[in-house]
Amino acid sequence: MDLPVYLVVGISNGTLYALMALGLVLIYKTQNFVPFVNGEFFTAGAFAAFTVFKIAMLPYWAAVCIAVLAGAAIGLICERAVIRPLANSHHLSLVMATVGASILLQGMARLRWGDDIYTFPPLLAEAKVTIASVPIAMQNLIVIIASLIVMAVLFGFFTYTKLGRQVKAVSQSLVGAQIIGVNPNRVYRTTWMLSGAIGAVAGVLAAPFTLLYPDMGSEILIKGFAAAILGGLTSIPGALIGGLAIGISETLIGGYINTVFIKISAFAVIMIVLLVKPQGLFGTSSIGRV
Amino acid sequence: MMNRIPAAGIAAVILLSAASIFLDPYTQYLVNLIMSYVVIAVGLNIVLGFAGQLSFAHSAFMGIGAYATALLMAELHFPLPLALPAAGLISAVVGLCVGLPAVRVRGLYLALVTIACLYFFSWVFVHWTSVTNGTNGMAVSSLTLLGWRLDTDAQKFYPLLITMLLMMALASAIMRSRLGRALVMVRDAELAAQVCGINVMQTKALAFAISAFYAGVGGGMFAISISFIDPHSFGILQMVTQFGMVLIGGLSSLAGAAIGAVLLTVLPELLREFRGAEELLYGLLMIVFIIFMPDGIAGFLRRRGWLKATDLGGRAPSRADRAINRKTVAQNPLHESEQP
Repeated sequence: MDLPVYLVVGISNGTLYALMALGLVLIYKTQNFVPFVNGEFFTAGAFAAFTVFKIAMLPYWAAVCIAVLAGAAIGLICERAVIRPLANSHHLSLVMATVGASILLQGMARLRWGDDIYTFPPLLAEAKVTIASVPIAMQNLIVIIASLIVMAVLFGFFTYTKLGRQVKAVSQSLVGAQIIGVNPNRVYRTTWMLSGAIGAVAGVLAAPFTLLYPDMGSEILIKGFAAAILGGLTSIPGALIGGLAIGISETLIGGYINTVFIKISAFAVIMIVLLVKPQGLFGTSSIGRV
Repeated sequence: MMNRIPAAGIAAVILLSAASIFLDPYTQYLVNLIMSYVVIAVGLNIVLGFAGQLSFAHSAFMGIGAYATALLMAELHFPLPLALPAAGLISAVVGLCVGLPAVRVRGLYLALVTIACLYFFSWVFVHWTSVTNGTNGMAVSSLTLLGWRLDTDAQKFYPLLITMLLMMALASAIMRSRLGRALVMVRDAELAAQVCGINVMQTKALAFAISAFYAGVGGGMFAISISFIDPHSFGILQMVTQFGMVLIGGLSSLAGAAIGAVLLTVLPELLREFRGAEELLYGLLMIVFIIFMPDGIAGFLRRRGWLKATDLGGRAPSRADRAINRKTVAQNPLHESEQP
């Protein structure tokens, strides 16, 4: 009886995780390390929308636009200030630097917003629709549709634009791309801005559910990791399927077993996948070169 | 070349032990806390700096050590000199259970497994209420050592000092042993290490276990110093603090880890008033050090000749080395396992 409701909530959460995973996969594919700062793009998006909508009292669409711009801007700053100087370093340094950036941004958010929790209204206030006698919160539908639109836009970007194809080229072979005249720095800048913008969109969409506080991003980042790993870290459709799988499974676990397990189901997925099938469900298995 | 820093360290220890009679309780408490963090940071440096494995689970192991120490003393009436190593061993066993499967996966994946592990244990500390007392935390019962009661910070100082010195000596011995050199070789040239007959998996797992042992003992010292265990003190901020200690002090340097521990225990105490300033400072320091001083304060001291350069990865790479490194890295931006 409750199953359809759980499924809708699970799919809605899952598409959010998929968006986070997408941001991680974009950077992993081009620069071969997993950034730990994407949770802050999420937070930045949510707080930017909050500022525009609740404090500046501008319309909702303006809030969403500003949030996307803010996410992209923070992504750009991260790339320029933290990643670019370390471009040739070991991936260990890069990961640590993004951990530093993440905690720095969290501190900045806490300086401004303190430890309070803020609420953010959904786009269509508490509306519910009933589809085939299943009550569905409008926000869940909006999340699903908006996430799918973002993914479609990304797909279009990678398939039909020159810059998008350049990103793909760099992710396949850096040296090859450089030979045919692709500027890798431009590509990295693009992926970081995209990653930031995607994270911010996820933040705006999730804000009505998660509420706003300075470290709201860290939990969804872990879910994003889990989704990305399940999908194999290099596969964009994999990220979507991984996100959905985690969203649905944790909702079902929470609904039928116990809600305390919702929090750790993602961690369990990460551990099990990496120990049993380290390349994920859709990743290409890596062959060590001697 | 003079080896001034260890000498300075010994002088500081002597001064401290003499001064502890005169220190006010707050300063004494801070000194105790610093000693706990020195042990923890040295342990993290073994796995992060010497073995080159990115582990995020260190603060979880610290939590396990803290709870184990408190429970062993309260429930099983272990004396302090037995409780700390026992807590360390429990941590090491858990570390081995995580590490053995985790070292199979490389580099970034290890980071992800261990961060999942960190969140998992943070969850356990809060939800396993029958053992950890959940969010209410746990008071560390009054300690006795050979019949003496250890109630005040000054009384706790000497046992903690002795533990720290023993742990430092042990770390220094391990890093000079065959195992220590094997760790560094696995970090720098895994394939060559294999060719030399080093069991890479075993060495990595051992590094993991040793660092977990240090985290366990350090966590126990931490619990004793602050007399109260809060399950939220072993989360991601704790982990970042410890990363900061190792990075700022200097990767692959025992003295560096100790310097970092001192700095990052004292600085946040000065910033107590400002919410968020602590995080801001850690983040900024980490980024600045990774970009501009990747070998930390220890590297700086080494270049000044104040700290002995060792061959355990402690040697500052020469300009030529760096150029070669940059070249090979630039040619092979994907670390070798990830080549398509």
